[in-house]
Amino acid sequence: MTDHATKRPRPLSPNIQVYRPQLTSVLSIGYRISGVALSIYAIGLVVWLLSAAAGPEAFASVQGVLVSWVGQVVLFGGTFALFWHLCGGIRHLFWDAGYGYELRTIYASGWAVVAASLLLTLAAWAASLIMAVDR
Amino acid sequence: MIIESSHQVPRTTLLDRFPVPKNFGVAPESRIGRGKAWPAPAGATRVKTFEIYRYDPDSSANPRIDSFEVDLDDCGPMVLDALIWIKNKIDSTLTFRRSCREGVCGSCAMNMDGTNWLACTRFISDMSAPARVYPLANMRIIKDLVPDTTHLFAQYEMIEPWLQTRTSQPEEERLQTPEDRENLDGYYECILCFCCTSGCPSHWWNGDRFLGPAALLQAYRWLIDSRDEAKGERLDILEDPFRLYRCHTILNCTRTCPKGLNPGKAIAEIKKMVIERRN
Amino acid sequence: MNKRSMRSPLSRALGLGSAREGVEHWWIQRVTAVALVPLTLWFTGSTILLAGAGHEAFVAWLRRPFSTVLMVLLLIAVFHHMALGLQVMVEDYVHSAAKFALLTAVRLGCFALAASGILATLRIAFVG
Repeated sequence: MTDHATKRPRPLSPNIQVYRPQLTSVLSIGYRISGVALSIYAIGLVVWLLSAAAGPEAFASVQGVLVSWVGQVVLFGGTFALFWHLCGGIRHLFWDAGYGYELRTIYASGWAVVAASLLLTLAAWAASLIMAVDR
Repeated sequence: MIIESSHQVPRTTLLDRFPVPKNFGVAPESRIGRGKAWPAPAGATRVKTFEIYRYDPDSSANPRIDSFEVDLDDCGPMVLDALIWIKNKIDSTLTFRRSCREGVCGSCAMNMDGTNWLACTRFISDMSAPARVYPLANMRIIKDLVPDTTHLFAQYEMIEPWLQTRTSQPEEERLQTPEDRENLDGYYECILCFCCTSGCPSHWWNGDRFLGPAALLQAYRWLIDSRDEAKGERLDILEDPFRLYRCHTILNCTRTCPKGLNPGKAIAEIKKMVIERRN
Repeated sequence: MNKRSMRSPLSRALGLGSAREGVEHWWIQRVTAVALVPLTLWFTGSTILLAGAGHEAFVAWLRRPFSTVLMVLLLIAVFHHMALGLQVMVEDYVHSAAKFALLTAVRLGCFALAASGILATLRIAFVG
């Protein structure tokens, strides 16, 4: 029997380097990335509240960043991350209750989450543009 | 777009691998190099190229990808038939596990075109060109397509896959109603091929402590067996942030099971049992 | 890797034994998630309605008791959910000694952020 203590270790077969991205794994990692993104936006929420508590000048400077085109792109991304995480989260809650594990349902609900996130993001931004114009 | 059963091969491919560098996070001994090209014998008309992972433990070389041209008119329709043809006609050193050739023993589980399945039930015509054949993902490789499944079987042993009772042995069998027996359908059929566990990203990152879908599905099989009397003890073994709760419902397992079983659902039911016993 | 242990595969798989806990974390993550569904929808709707508003309008909106209560609840739920979620991520991907430092940092950071946010909200609501 060869002595493995002195021979080099056995190689590990490739995992993420070769495994096919499927709706299951792609939506799952997207969900996790949206969670991390929302964590950063949550820090931003606290900064925003602190600026409002500090007074009109502080609030105005934060608002100035938010209404700039960079700020708007960042907020758009944040809205998308929110709705992706919200819809994906509801899908997860159904799974936690034990429903929706047939493959057909997994795939249908997965595509529904993608579509719903996009539609809700666009709807939210359309609504806010209308509100801002009306003001 | 909508997959109805795990037997369904995807029709469209947007990405055939995650956009990570080829040797992303790979230890030096696991880096894959270029291998040999083996042409088809003369006179072959219908030829398909197979790119196969090779590793020779007796040499000091790293793993490599060899390219074989297979004469489709001379071999059977399944990927296992192609591997056997290569071993018989082209390179007798190609090493892989196989036994039943009908999808019931679990020996020939491997990663074909990026997904884990049994080579004997995967049609060559469903493979892309060139067809890519790798061993099961994230496993220590003994040789070529043969993985070391010692740890996976140890995790299976850990969940105590045998009947545990306290009531004394009856005169004849321990009886079960047909409804009781139906509870085991969808769980007892597992052939322990480990396609699911080696396809689970959570097991890739935490496989030393996370039990993985195969062991957890079998744990559930024993939990819902009406003859078993050790549910509490079984749940105590499972209730651990790593052993059970590394499952984040990624569901690669259910997508890849070559027997059409549902480990994701089994794990969800275990989690529900854990909640139920403390509420 | 020259040092090989004679430990059996079963012993390696058993590790340090079952912690016999983990369900609390899982349960609270789901409870905060359920709370966050209406709270985030309320927050998103409110920010849409407040689009383009200045400091005075914002303060007036936040001083309403309904808004103050929901904002505080939102902050508690968000940062608890966030702390639990990031904890899971650290446990998944970090396996060195840095893991415990990161877990502590995540927990303390989320607590500090939640406290700051709640205090800011209450200050606006009661002081203006």
